[in-house]
Amino acid sequence: MIGPILALATATMPGPPLPPSPVAAAPVISAALTDTTVQVKSDFRGARIVLYGAVFDSAARPSDVVVLVRGPEQPVRLTRKQKVAGLWLNSRPVVFRGAPGFYRAASNRPLDDIATFGTLRRLGAGVDHLPINAPAEQHIETRYGVRDVVVSSLGPDYYDWRRAVVRLKEKAGLYHEDGQGVRFVDRGLFRAEIALPTGAPTGVYQAEILLFQNGKPVSSRTRTLTVEKVGLERALYVWAHSRPWSYGLAAMAFALAAGWAASAAFRRD
Amino acid sequence: MDIYLPIAEVAVNAPLIVLLGAVVGFISGMFGIGGGFLMTPMLVFLGIPAPVAVASMANHVAASSMSSVIAYGRRKAVDLRMGAVLAAGGVVGAFAGVELFRWLRLLGQADLVVSVSYLLFLSVIGGLMLMESLGAILRRRRGETAPPHRDRRPVWLYGLPLKMRFPRSRLYISVIPPLVLGAFVGVLSAIMGVGGGFILVPAMVYILRMPAGMVVGTSLLQIIITTALTGVLQAGRNQTVDIVLATLLLVGGIVGAQFGARASSRFRAEELRAILALIVLLVGLRMGLGLFLTPDEPFVLLSGMG
Repeated sequence: MIGPILALATATMPGPPLPPSPVAAAPVISAALTDTTVQVKSDFRGARIVLYGAVFDSAARPSDVVVLVRGPEQPVRLTRKQKVAGLWLNSRPVVFRGAPGFYRAASNRPLDDIATFGTLRRLGAGVDHLPINAPAEQHIETRYGVRDVVVSSLGPDYYDWRRAVVRLKEKAGLYHEDGQGVRFVDRGLFRAEIALPTGAPTGVYQAEILLFQNGKPVSSRTRTLTVEKVGLERALYVWAHSRPWSYGLAAMAFALAAGWAASAAFRRD
Repeated sequence: MDIYLPIAEVAVNAPLIVLLGAVVGFISGMFGIGGGFLMTPMLVFLGIPAPVAVASMANHVAASSMSSVIAYGRRKAVDLRMGAVLAAGGVVGAFAGVELFRWLRLLGQADLVVSVSYLLFLSVIGGLMLMESLGAILRRRRGETAPPHRDRRPVWLYGLPLKMRFPRSRLYISVIPPLVLGAFVGVLSAIMGVGGGFILVPAMVYILRMPAGMVVGTSLLQIIITTALTGVLQAGRNQTVDIVLATLLLVGGIVGAQFGARASSRFRAEELRAILALIVLLVGLRMGLGLFLTPDEPFVLLSGMG
């Protein structure tokens, strides 16, 4: 499935606009986003951002492209329903740190085919390699003469909890891994789409575009994307969070005045 | 036509929310209740985070109670003194309730307490109301007269100290029962996102023995004061009041309440009570169902870091 695309991508490089380069120069990747800011207004229903880029490699070696988009870090609080005396109750919540509020890994073929487990883990590429952990629930100690053993008070369930974070975030459209999310459209030219759901957190996103050759990352680019509330939504949000008491008083005064106005409008006598 | 709610951070269908406000407003106008117990679960069902739904409902309940209390005030059907005593208790309850809710959110048990409170209070009150109103309907069908009204007030109501005169309600009782009642309803309004009329009204009739004509107007006064405070505290402490959501609900609620009040004159009082009892009972059982069913997904992401 990768064959024809990759052939196109690596057949003959470089295109005309490439600056003069020495023979067999190091391969370089280049990329840009169609939009660098996403505005959250009252009609916000998510956004699609197109990322496009090119691979410049005079030697035309087989190349793979991986795009990793990370949103601002958002600690995750997770609870598990447990049956206690016939009732389904929430367990004590566990906080996972290091989880990005938004994560998308796109590549031209499945990540496991591109690089080894160790490389992917080091780069945090793929939902299984996100550096999510629950610091309050684990500590490092020496056991059986082995130092630096990670001990989790969640015990063997730890991976169930970790998988649940990813599963629930995927369900909300916040995490996504797509082994065919990067498409080569012309020789060395590729594009990927980043779909932001309505619940995407506001803040600065980092898009990391990596060029892999022979299972090793050889070139990378980083682009930033800003998701921000604008207009009335921003004004209300900022007001509610920076001056919560004045916001609360004003909101209540408005509600009481509206109730009073309604009774005056519908007065029947 | 979707609209993005700035505090809840979700997009909702605006006409649907206005319609929900209108339906609940209709029911609230018909039965003379706030309708918070019906609205809050519906909002959660529509995907609005529970803390935001509970907190924004305080603003909505305050506004809709405000629109009705003025009409009762004009008819001199509000006992200001009793309302003030109830509200004094309500203020204490609201402070305690907002802090309690904050603590429960940190523990991750807010959902559980909300479900249990709904199950417990709504099914007990709905069940009692249903029995009482069905009894009244059956007696009328058989042509019997109502059993003699027992006007004996409970002795403990008179044994308590700190007695006070309530001339409008023609009562001379201790202030402790209304204070405790007010505080209890204040806590509920913070935890359940309700006004508490469904508890306050029966308690004022059966425990405090207030004259029926005074009960609804006075309970509305207490509800306004308590929910106004709850709303400000929720905004200040938890930053969970969504003014856009409250306004959308209000637009529908005001119109619905007027039609509801007109429709109520077509039914007999006991029939109205029976319908209301059924609604209350169903909402309570539905909210409690989650405690007994095996969840599809055992893990739950908690919103907000408290």
